[in-house]
Amino acid sequence: MSASIEIAGVSKVYDGGVRAVDAVAMDIRQGEFFSLLGPSGCGKTTTLRMIAGFEIPSAGAIRVDGADITHVPAHKRDMGMVFQNYALFPHRTVAENVAFGLRMRGLDKASIATKVKAALAMVELSGLEDRRPTQLSGGQQQRVALARAIVIAPRVLLCDEPLGALDKKLRQQMQFELKQLQKKLGLTLVFVTHDQEEALAMSDRIAVMNGGRVEQVGTPAEIYNQPTTRFVADFIGDTNIFRGERTTTSAGGPALDVGKGLILALPASIETQGTGVLSVALRPEKIRLSPADGTAASARGVVENTNFLGGAVLYRITLGGGHRVLVQQPNAGTDRLFVPGNGVTLDWTPADLVVLKD
Amino acid sequence: MSTSTSHSPSLAPDRAAAPVRTAVPRHYGRYIYLAINTAILVFLLAPIAVVVVFALNPTPFIQFPPVGVSLRWFEKFFASRDFMQALGFSLEVAVLTTVSATVLGASAALALARGNLPGTRLIVATMLSPLMLPAILTGLALFQTYVLLDVGRPTWGLVAGHTLVTLPYVVRTTLAVLHNFDTRLEEAAQNLGASPLRTFFEVTLPLIKPGVLAGAIFAFIVSFDQFPVSLFLVSPGNETLPVTLFNYLKFDLDGTIGAASVVSIVLAFVVVIGLDRTVGLRSYVKL
Amino acid sequence: MMKALGSSRLNRRRFLTASASLGIGTIAAPYVARADDPTLRITGWGGKWGEVMKAEIGPAFESEFKCKLQTDSAFPYLPKLQASSRSAPIYDVLHTNSNEQWAAAEMGLVEPKIDPKLVPNLADVYPYAISDKIVGVSIFTSAIGLGMRTDKGYSGVTSWKELWDAKYNGVRGGYVIPVNSLGQAFLMMCGTLFGKGQLDLDAAYAALEKLKPIKIVDFTGAMEKMLLSGEVGLCVIHDSGIYRYDGQNQPTDFVSPSEGVLSLEQVLTITPGSKMKELANAYVNYMLRPEVQKRLAETVWYSPANRKVKLDPKYDAKLLTTPEKVSKLIQVDWKWYNERKDEIDQRVNRIFRA
Repeated sequence: MSASIEIAGVSKVYDGGVRAVDAVAMDIRQGEFFSLLGPSGCGKTTTLRMIAGFEIPSAGAIRVDGADITHVPAHKRDMGMVFQNYALFPHRTVAENVAFGLRMRGLDKASIATKVKAALAMVELSGLEDRRPTQLSGGQQQRVALARAIVIAPRVLLCDEPLGALDKKLRQQMQFELKQLQKKLGLTLVFVTHDQEEALAMSDRIAVMNGGRVEQVGTPAEIYNQPTTRFVADFIGDTNIFRGERTTTSAGGPALDVGKGLILALPASIETQGTGVLSVALRPEKIRLSPADGTAASARGVVENTNFLGGAVLYRITLGGGHRVLVQQPNAGTDRLFVPGNGVTLDWTPADLVVLKD
Repeated sequence: MSTSTSHSPSLAPDRAAAPVRTAVPRHYGRYIYLAINTAILVFLLAPIAVVVVFALNPTPFIQFPPVGVSLRWFEKFFASRDFMQALGFSLEVAVLTTVSATVLGASAALALARGNLPGTRLIVATMLSPLMLPAILTGLALFQTYVLLDVGRPTWGLVAGHTLVTLPYVVRTTLAVLHNFDTRLEEAAQNLGASPLRTFFEVTLPLIKPGVLAGAIFAFIVSFDQFPVSLFLVSPGNETLPVTLFNYLKFDLDGTIGAASVVSIVLAFVVVIGLDRTVGLRSYVKL
Repeated sequence: MMKALGSSRLNRRRFLTASASLGIGTIAAPYVARADDPTLRITGWGGKWGEVMKAEIGPAFESEFKCKLQTDSAFPYLPKLQASSRSAPIYDVLHTNSNEQWAAAEMGLVEPKIDPKLVPNLADVYPYAISDKIVGVSIFTSAIGLGMRTDKGYSGVTSWKELWDAKYNGVRGGYVIPVNSLGQAFLMMCGTLFGKGQLDLDAAYAALEKLKPIKIVDFTGAMEKMLLSGEVGLCVIHDSGIYRYDGQNQPTDFVSPSEGVLSLEQVLTITPGSKMKELANAYVNYMLRPEVQKRLAETVWYSPANRKVKLDPKYDAKLLTTPEKVSKLIQVDWKWYNERKDEIDQRVNRIFRA
C-alpha cells in the first residue's frame, strides 16, 4: 500500500562542512507524483538518497505514514528505486533481476515466477526473461529497472533521473508510460530530475530546490504561474525579471521604477504605500505584441531578434530605455510575423506581474 | 546515449573504408605482427621445451641433441619418497596459502576500497611492500621472528610467509575490479531488501570474482613455486618441492630435476584449468 | 605430535605447544623439538649420503642413544644458524665444509675444538683431521685434483700445470670461485704452483688469467655432468665426484697430481649454546666409529678420517687410507682465506667477467 512521506527539517552535512541539504521540509502525499527539481548540486539526489536510506540525515527526521524511519537501514524500508543508469545486476538475467527483491522477501518459487511474469508483461518485456542486461537497449533496461522496482509492491517508488539517459523521443514515451503506471498502481512516487519540462509534464506537485534548500513547493501550474522566488521564476521556463524601487503611478496605484524611464504598474493586490526594492517576473507569453502604431501600450521597442519555434515565435525586443525583453506570441501566420528592426508596442496587464522574493 | 547515436553514423564509413585504404601496409603489418608474436611465444616456451627434453632424455646430463626418449627420470621422481613428500607438502602449503591470501587479500581490498579509512594509500603501499622487498629477506626476517618467539619452524609459519608474499597479488587484482565497481549495484540490492551480508554474497562477490580468482591463481602459483621465502622457513623433514629440488641439485644434476619441473608445470596448469572449469573463470573474464 | 602427547615426558610447556598446534587444526606443524627434548639437531648432506644416513646410520644412532635425530638438509646452514639465538641455536652439531666451519667459528657460532676426552675416537684420526687448519674435526675428506676424459687421448696427465696446456682450450673446466669451495681451494693451489705458496695471491690471479678460456660452473655436480657429457675434457674436481660413477663404465678418471691434492673436508663442530652437549659429543664420536666410517666411505667415496678403518679393496685402492696417501693432502688455510674473501671475490669476478 502506498504511503505518505514527511520530511521534517532534514539537513545533510558532509565531512568537510559541505551542506548538501539544508533544513528541507516537505510533505509528500499518498499516491502523489512528486518531483524534486533543480540544477545539479541542489541537493535533490541527496534528499532522495536519504529517503531511500543510503544516506543518514545530519539533522531532522523522515517519516513514512507517520513512523520515523530516519535510522532504519535501506534494506528494511520497503521502497522501490529506479537508479540513474538503472543499476541492473550484470551477472543476472532480466528475470533474475526482477525476481531479486521477491527472493529477498522469501517468496516461494512459483509466486516469484508469476509476479515476475506479470511485471515484465506490464513493462512490455515478455520474452526477454533470459537475456542479460547488457544485451538490452537503453529503453529496455529502463523498463527492467522499473519492473524490478515495482514488482515488490513498494510503499514508495523512488526515481533518480531515470529517463536522463534516453534520447528525447523515447524519453517522452517513457514519461507517459511511467505516469500511466503510477496512476494505475496508485503509487507514491518521488521523482528526481533537473529537466523542468519533464517535471512540469509529469508531476502532481514539484519541489524546486536550490543550494540545498527548497525554494518552492506547488503544482506545476503554481510553480510556473506564481513562482515565489527569483530562482524559481528564472529556472522554470523563460521569463523577464525586473528589479526596481517601489513608487506609484500617475493614477496613484502601486508601481515599480525599474530605471531607464520604465515604470511598471504593479497588480492591484499590492498595497499602494510601499517602499524599497522589489523584483517582478513577467512570462514572455503574457505580453501582447502589436505594430508600432498600436494604441494600447505598456511599452515600446524594436525587434532585435526573431526566433521561429513552429507553434510560437520568440522575440527579443529592446525597449526604448534599453531594457531587453523576451516576448512569445502564438504563430498567427507569416503575414503577422515581426522581423528584426520592426518597431513594436508591448502590452500586458499588471496582474500578470508576479512579485518575487529575492 | 544521444551522443553515441549521433556520432556513430559519421564513424561507420571510416571503419568500412579502413581496410581498403590501408590494404597494402596492413599486409606487411600482419607478418610483422605474427613474427613478433611468434618470437615472444618462442621466448616464453623455449625454457619449458629445454626442461621437457632434459626430462625425457635418458642420459644423466643435459645433452643436445637428445639420444632418446625415456621415462626413467619420471620413475625416479615418483619413486622418491623425498620428492613425493615434498610435492605433497608443497601442494598443501599452496592450497592453505591460496585460501588465506585470498580471504585476507580480498577482505583487505574491500576495506581499502570501501572503508573510507584514513591513510588508505599508505596502507595499500604497505600491503604491496612485500613485492618490493627481496623475498629472501622476508624469509630471513620471518625465520628470525619465529626463532625469537621460540615457535620453531611450523607449517603455519611457512604458510604465513607465503601469504605475505602472495597477498599483494590478491589485493591488487581485487582492488582493480573494485575500482570499476558501480556501488549503486549494492544500493540497488539493499533497496530491494538484501541485508549488507546478503548484498555481499549476491552482488559484490559475484562481480569481483574475476579479480579475486585471478589473485587466487597468482597466489597458488607463487606459493607453489616459492623458493626464497621457503628457504629459511622449511623445517627438517618438511621441505617444499623447490627447496628439495635445490638441495638435490647440489648433489645430483640429472633428469629428475627436469621431470620434477615438468610435473610442477603440469600441476600448475591443472589447477588453473580446474579453477576455470569449476568456478567459471572464463565467463567472468569477458565481463 | 601425537607421539609427543602420548609420551611420558609430557610436561606443561610441551602440552601447551601441542594444544596450540592442535587448535590450529590442519595447519598444525609437525612437532618441532625443543632444547629440553632428547632431540639432536644436526645438519647433513642430501643425495646418497642423506639416503644412507636416513635409512641406516641415523636410526642406529637414535636407538643406541635413545634420542631423536633431526637432520636439516636444506641449505644454507650458516645463515640459519647465524639468525638463531646463540643461547638456543637451531643446530647442536654443524656438519659442513671446512671453509664454512671457519666462518662459523670466527663468528663464535661453533666451538673451535672438540674435547678428546668426550670424543674418544678422536685419538684414532689422522693428524689432518684435527690440524690447526681444522675447526672441530674432519670426519672425512675428499681429494681435489683433476678429472679427465679417458677417451680423448689426453694421456699422461700428472701435474696440475697441465690444465694450462693450450690443447684443453674449450674443454677446460673450473668453478665460480666466490661460491664454490673447490674453486677457492684451487685458487690457493695456483699460488703454490706458480708463486711463493698458498698465500701468493698475485701469482694465483696471474695464473687464473692464463687459464682462460675456461668453462665455469657454480655447483660441483654440474662439473660432474659436463665431464660425463664430454663438454669438458679436463677439470678441477674432487675424487668422489669421479669415483661415484664407478661401475658405470664412464670414460672419466681422477688424476691425483704430483704436486699433491687439496683436501675437501667434511667437518663436524658443536655449537656453544647447545643444550645437548653430551649427545652432540656422542654423535661426533659415533660418526668416527670405524664401522660408520666404512659404511659412509663406501657409499659416497669419501676418505675416512679414522686410521683404523679397513675399506674393501676396491675402495682402499682409490681412497686416502694410508699415512703415505694422506700425506699428499694439502690443507687450505681457510681462516686466512675467509679474511680476504671479499677482496678475492672482487678480483676473480673481474678476471672471469672480462
